[in-house]
Amino acid sequence: MGKLELNQTLGKHTGRVWNVAWHPKGEVFASCGEDKTIRLWSKEFGKWSNKVILADGHKRTIREIAWSPCGNYIASASFDATTSIWDKKSGQFECNTTLEGHENEVKSVAWSQSGQLLATCSRDKSVWVWDVAEEDEYECAAVLNAHSQDVKKVTFHPNKNLLASASYDNTVKIFKEDPSDNDWICVSTLSSHESTVWSLAFDKTGSRLATCSDDKTVKIWQEYAAGNKEGIPTGDEESVWKCVCTLSGYHTRTVYDISWCRKTGLIATACGDDVIRVFKEEENSDPNAPNFAMVTCIEKSHQQDVNCVAWSPNGDILISCSDDGEIKVWKYTE
Amino acid sequence: MELENVNPNVYNKVNERLITAEEQDDNVVDEIDTREVFDLIRGINDPEHPLSLEELHVLEESLIEVDNDRNLVRVLYTPTIPHCSMATLIGLSIHVKLLRCLPGRFKVTVEINPGTHASEHSVNKQLADKERVAAALENRHLIKVINQCIVSN
Amino acid sequence: MSHFSGALQLTDLDDFITPSQECIKPVQIEKTQTTTGAKISIGEDGSYNQMDVSGSFQKLEKVEITLADCLACSGCITSAEGVLITQQSQDELLRVFQENKKCDKNEAKLIIVSISIQPILSLAVRYNLAPNECAARLAGYFKHLGADIVVDMSLAEGFAVLENQKEFLNRFKNAPKTLPMLASSCPGFVCYAEKTHGNFILPYISTVKSPQQIMGSLLKSTLSKKWDGKLVYHVTVMPCYDKKLEASRSEFFDADSQTRDVDCVITSIELEQMLTREGITLLDMPKSTYSQPWLDGNEEIEIQLTRNLGSGSGGYSDNILKRAAKELIGLECDEIVYKNLRNPDFKEILLQNNQGEVALRFAIANGFRNIQNVVQKLKRGKCHYHYIEVMACPSGCLNGGAQARSQDGTHSKDLIVALELMYEKLPVLNLYEINEFAKVIISKEEMMRTEYKAVEKINTALNIKW
Repeated sequence: MGKLELNQTLGKHTGRVWNVAWHPKGEVFASCGEDKTIRLWSKEFGKWSNKVILADGHKRTIREIAWSPCGNYIASASFDATTSIWDKKSGQFECNTTLEGHENEVKSVAWSQSGQLLATCSRDKSVWVWDVAEEDEYECAAVLNAHSQDVKKVTFHPNKNLLASASYDNTVKIFKEDPSDNDWICVSTLSSHESTVWSLAFDKTGSRLATCSDDKTVKIWQEYAAGNKEGIPTGDEESVWKCVCTLSGYHTRTVYDISWCRKTGLIATACGDDVIRVFKEEENSDPNAPNFAMVTCIEKSHQQDVNCVAWSPNGDILISCSDDGEIKVWKYTE
Repeated sequence: MELENVNPNVYNKVNERLITAEEQDDNVVDEIDTREVFDLIRGINDPEHPLSLEELHVLEESLIEVDNDRNLVRVLYTPTIPHCSMATLIGLSIHVKLLRCLPGRFKVTVEINPGTHASEHSVNKQLADKERVAAALENRHLIKVINQCIVSN
Repeated sequence: MSHFSGALQLTDLDDFITPSQECIKPVQIEKTQTTTGAKISIGEDGSYNQMDVSGSFQKLEKVEITLADCLACSGCITSAEGVLITQQSQDELLRVFQENKKCDKNEAKLIIVSISIQPILSLAVRYNLAPNECAARLAGYFKHLGADIVVDMSLAEGFAVLENQKEFLNRFKNAPKTLPMLASSCPGFVCYAEKTHGNFILPYISTVKSPQQIMGSLLKSTLSKKWDGKLVYHVTVMPCYDKKLEASRSEFFDADSQTRDVDCVITSIELEQMLTREGITLLDMPKSTYSQPWLDGNEEIEIQLTRNLGSGSGGYSDNILKRAAKELIGLECDEIVYKNLRNPDFKEILLQNNQGEVALRFAIANGFRNIQNVVQKLKRGKCHYHYIEVMACPSGCLNGGAQARSQDGTHSKDLIVALELMYEKLPVLNLYEINEFAKVIISKEEMMRTEYKAVEKINTALNIKW
């Protein structure tokens, strides 16, 4: 059994904090929210403090931020329908590029593992893929209208140019680039949740996907490639995704976010019942029907809904943020 | 253009609340009760008629639930007609009023009284989506309309 | 399934028709202080009458949003609208044909059908016919339904190209700040530009009408005297639904005849449906001929289809480049080869003059993602092209949103390749001859030109979508 210990409570934002994200090196993290700012947090004398504030980049709530894999850029998605790219070329983070095109609120932004692609999604039901060209030029590589409702979150596969999106239409869709015309197509639709899918996370291999939903469950999906040994038919798709585990009965309200640690394999969830939960796959679990047990949970981890949880790159710290305006830093130990 | 529901039923308001000694005592932790919630929202105006949601029987105290232990408040509202296109706006106004007035510890759910609207499920889903609600409240045109409904007399 | 282009689909595909935030026909809500005494009754004529407390009746205003308003707006495209449009076109067309057959000779309209090349090729592949035979049988089908005359859109396509060349040269020489000039024949792009980027981008779009509308003006205005006072009902056959929106624009309403230049647009896929409903295929139809009402004598001719040099969307880039190269840098362009950029739907050609310097930069951008890139580059001042042929559908008009789908499970990409090959095999239209003819028949340049208006978003607060 593991445990989460509260290390620090950070209360600098005004209004709800929607998202927190780690710099790939794990020494800095960023937060964003209703106050339209992005705050960068680093450790000084053993304590996390906010040294940098990125303001005036957006006119409305900043919903999500994402660090590029190289750590030199931050992308921010905002309700003002734009996505800003901040770079540190001048020595300080400045917003030098703004991506427009979505009809209304941008809900999520994600970088591909190579840093060459960016994805955004919006209440306008579309997912856009952007190519990072030379000289920080961003070109629209695809506009995907596959979902029938608001798209909440996008994330890239850990090592392939494969994109997954979660939507208010209760499904998750997987997209891939078609090399013949460089356009992206939807190769898979994962339907099982009974309400909005709020977030999703690939495991470190990318062959598993965890999704969380307003239906109060978390689902684990397994990829079966063509010619898989379990004999699952794949048709003419390259692979199919099957739901191999549903965690129900744990969360009592909407599960807003899920984070799957690339190092330890632990899954953390952020829930509207103010509780942070951590799950672990049981030893000797059948890979095609795995069992996940809850190893720890923190009741009243925040005073209001927990919106986001994020494992540090080496898995020893979990950060969370809430509607109550606070960010908390938790130390995880076995 | 004719109003959607031109001849709504209008109801009497309930009597004033009796103040008990306990309520006046500062040492007792202030729990919220259904009457208090009702008092907060009963005066919200309908966007189309110059009448309150109480007078239109959209809101009734008996359709409000409060759980102080688990910090839950649930309000069911009854649109005046089953195809009321103002249903989402009305629900949003109720939700906003409660968000502004109730202590932050409360989880607020506003839903349509089951069986009283054609698009009950989709309206409830939209009202329950706090991200959609948050974004809506950043729309100054919408906030203006909502404030007109909420800030009354 | 919407047959509109991706550019129009992006804007609010939704399943009920209520005035959305983008609806330019907002419903006025008169907030009258009605007491609970007011009663509404429905009169025998279907009108709503309000009886107030004093007992007197007052007829209430009904607000109507007609389908024409809806189509013209393009503020929101609902899938319900898509269904309505389909029904309107096929049923409407058949109804017009029926009524025309039954009514008095002097009341009857003159029904003219003008057919574009892309639907012909689409149906040729669909019914396994050679293009000319397909056109002949299609003409036969329309005459069987009740059309009086069937014409080839290629004349209007030629006029469009020539006028575009003229406009480009004029801009290049006299108004270089209005470059890059953007193609105007795609209503998907035009509607998107008017709605989303408004006055910033509109000055760049060519003011030349699309071939469909040029043909409409030609038939209804230029040739108006030819019809002996009969009212012309003009049907066009097109590869996409966006053309229906184009036809209903207020700019294309002819004040003299009080009708639209194009009364009805029917698409490849709808023709296929109509044939299937009747239980026939094109092969069952007799072969017929095209008319040329713009010639004295109105000769019927055996159909010989042509194409324009360049893309299957009309070849604007190639033809303008050819003419510009000749006139501006004295170069004869025999072979125009584009280089693919990020994707095959965005390609460019940088033409060098005799001194080896790049003198002309042209591009073809198909599909919504590339429209995005063009617009964003323009906004940032980083668009260095002189001309861009912009089309809303990937691969251009041959792959229009309402072209027939493959029957035997052929991959859609192979279908496009087949259509492109078929297109390339057609003989090229002789633009010189068309130009000479234009000098004779086109009396007013305005007949070939149009204008654009930014569509303002009106915030009807009670119906804001969130």
